[in-house]
Amino acid sequence: MTAIAQLIDATKTYYCLDCGVCTGSCPVARVFSDFSPRQIIERSLYGLEEPSDGTIWSCLTCAQCSVRCPANIDFPEFVRLMRDEAHQMGFDGVPAHNGMLQTITSIQAAGATQKRNFWLEGLKTAEKGDLFYFVGCRPYFDVVFRDINAGSIKSARNIVSTLNAVGEVPVVSNDERCCGHDALWNGDEEKFKKLASKNIEVIRASGAKKVVFSCPEGYLTFKRYYPRYFGDLGFEPVHLLDLLEEKVSQGIISFKESKAHVTYHDPCRLGRLAGIFDAPRALIKAMPGVEFTEMPRSRENAVCCGTSGWMNCSSCSKQIQLERLKEASTTGADTLVTACPKCQIHFRCTKSAFDLGIEIVDLYDMVAERIKTGATAV
Amino acid sequence: MLDVGRHPNIKLLAYSEVEKVEGEEGAFKVTIRRKARYVDEDKCTGCGACKEKCPTVVPDAFNEGLGTRKAIYSLFAQGIPSTHTIDPAHCRQLNGKKCGICAKTCQAKAVNFDQKDRVVEIDVASIIIAAGYDVFDPSRISEYHYRDLPNVVTAIEFERLLSASGPTGGHLDRPSDRAFEAELAELGKKVEKAQKALEKYEEKYGASSSDFIMKYRSGDYGDDADKAKWAEKFEEFLPMHESLEAMKDKASGFSVAKRLAFVQCVGSRDFRFYPFCSGYCCMHSIKEAIIAHEHGPETTSTIFGMDIRAVGKGFEEYKIRGGNHSNITYVRGRVAEITEGQNHNPVITYEDTRERKVKSQEFDMVILATACAPTKGIIELSGKLGVELDKYNFIKTSPISPVDTSVPGVFVCGCAQAPMDVPESVAQASSAAARAAEIAFHYYSEKEKAVAC
Repeated sequence: MTAIAQLIDATKTYYCLDCGVCTGSCPVARVFSDFSPRQIIERSLYGLEEPSDGTIWSCLTCAQCSVRCPANIDFPEFVRLMRDEAHQMGFDGVPAHNGMLQTITSIQAAGATQKRNFWLEGLKTAEKGDLFYFVGCRPYFDVVFRDINAGSIKSARNIVSTLNAVGEVPVVSNDERCCGHDALWNGDEEKFKKLASKNIEVIRASGAKKVVFSCPEGYLTFKRYYPRYFGDLGFEPVHLLDLLEEKVSQGIISFKESKAHVTYHDPCRLGRLAGIFDAPRALIKAMPGVEFTEMPRSRENAVCCGTSGWMNCSSCSKQIQLERLKEASTTGADTLVTACPKCQIHFRCTKSAFDLGIEIVDLYDMVAERIKTGATAV
Repeated sequence: MLDVGRHPNIKLLAYSEVEKVEGEEGAFKVTIRRKARYVDEDKCTGCGACKEKCPTVVPDAFNEGLGTRKAIYSLFAQGIPSTHTIDPAHCRQLNGKKCGICAKTCQAKAVNFDQKDRVVEIDVASIIIAAGYDVFDPSRISEYHYRDLPNVVTAIEFERLLSASGPTGGHLDRPSDRAFEAELAELGKKVEKAQKALEKYEEKYGASSSDFIMKYRSGDYGDDADKAKWAEKFEEFLPMHESLEAMKDKASGFSVAKRLAFVQCVGSRDFRFYPFCSGYCCMHSIKEAIIAHEHGPETTSTIFGMDIRAVGKGFEEYKIRGGNHSNITYVRGRVAEITEGQNHNPVITYEDTRERKVKSQEFDMVILATACAPTKGIIELSGKLGVELDKYNFIKTSPISPVDTSVPGVFVCGCAQAPMDVPESVAQASSAAARAAEIAFHYYSEKEKAVAC
């Protein structure tokens, strides 16, 4: 049995109806006609596909196809397994930014000592405790994407100060590493496992029962893929948006009035893959003075931000991003809010390249700027 | 239907619900709630004078809410028995208001506001479930935006729009245009009222409002309170009148839907909902496209689907005829997404799998060939009867006895068992009737023998 035949069995791809919903839904296929999920599956079923085929690296793994698939085929998973195979055979995609971000995670996986907590000054954190805040790659992004004003650290500070405001003093560890999301989706399972096992070790040593994530990728990777490889983790991954929504509904936090007209972009890992659609909207709607307008394609139908896993950033990505920002502008909103540091970087990049008027704002910045806790509320 | 109504051996208990079923094959005791119609079925001649006069307008469920009916109504013209019913949720009289117009109008004296639900018990040897089906709710497929886009309709809604006795008299007026026209009519009424008020002033002072306002604005009338009121009314009237004219102008450009798209397999052949084929939707899409073309020869239709399942005698020929004579184009590709373009036109995005190209195409109206779903009440009814359902909530049967349920003496036919076409339902109904009669015959002849002994 060939490797592809095995992964067809594993993902039940043989149920394919050849209907074209995947390709018709695919944001890449719309701008790059050589890419077609349906045709990749068709070729695989006929035994004509090879893992060395470069088109598998064009997939954004955004799951727009799989949520609509009438045969329940998990195409992103199919692509992920195919990339595993390709990577083992020595084939890789074209990494974005000359592979700088892949190199950073390789250094982390190798066990180099980091200095990642330089931004925590003035914030309350702990060495040990029940709640661990998994910061993710924000400190690195802030340095790499300084030219487009990524603001990743500003938001990270805002997140910790929000946690402080609701009475939490989280553990923030200097030994935390990349969650391994990109390695996993780039076909580098070995690197993923190294990073993951180190993270699990660090979190367990902190004594934390709950790990809170602001990054959709980190949350999804811990929630879905860590248990798959490592079994019971001994702690519970929680998304910060769910935690904050709960505090809002309990009346523990409320927001100051401040005028804005915003729309919201669902990150694929947060929305379609982790099913968190309502919490970000509930937070925005709880902010007085903020007018909220949905984009025509939202929630399950939200279009991807154009690149994933720091892979294959091309003119195709730019076109997807440009169209998405135009769609955001049609709502009449002057600000696009999102809750993923990567979506934000991709949109900021396109905004600066095309000199667009729309503002890109991190939801956690909006929260921190407006938050009123029970104690400080007037 | 008419035959059933006239048959000497068939007693029809319409507008009734099964409350309880006891006993077993050959000797069931069924308790039935005969809901109050507030109209005496035996006296009502079905003339319809009552509903003409009834002042209460209610959305019409038979027309899928696209039209209206009155609080006293007959579900549809050909219904059996030919009688009327008062909808107690909306009737003014039954809600403590003064009315009773229907009762005054009715020459047969059939209206009876004091009627109460009656509970009857009947003894039967066998039972047939013929509860039918419901249309799959397409809003569950969020990428089709059924609730957000006014011109995306279900096949059954389209059927009503296409019907000569339907809410548009068979004209394919688009729902967005109809909503706009309703808004226009509403504003028209307001403008008319405002105009009448202005006319009173014009008569009183012998000047036209437009002449008056010029003078008023230049301060000719000082602080005359009555004149100030006239001016205020006129200032209110002007923008209303202006937007009315603009709306009229826009509405004059409306035309019936000419470019139609039919989206196949909405909820069927879909592992997320019903993995099986509903069997009839390919043919009803072709039928609706052919009829739409008969109504307007400029109409073009595009049918999107994985394949056209024209299985049956003459079906394939019908499909080809549609393509050759009724401007139908068949596209191989399941629709990925429906979004809104200019002028409320739905835009369909799909992969044409024969050309291997992703395309987007704009239409005047999109019709969703919605799957056959089990009827909502089936869970309750099957519970009362004790019959098993399959995992999709259709009545469970075995392939070798397709009308027998899990309870002896209880049979099923039509879409309560599985999705099926009209001729198949009719054949299955006859089969179920024969099976039911077999049992009834056996038990009644046993009884007769017992009496004879």
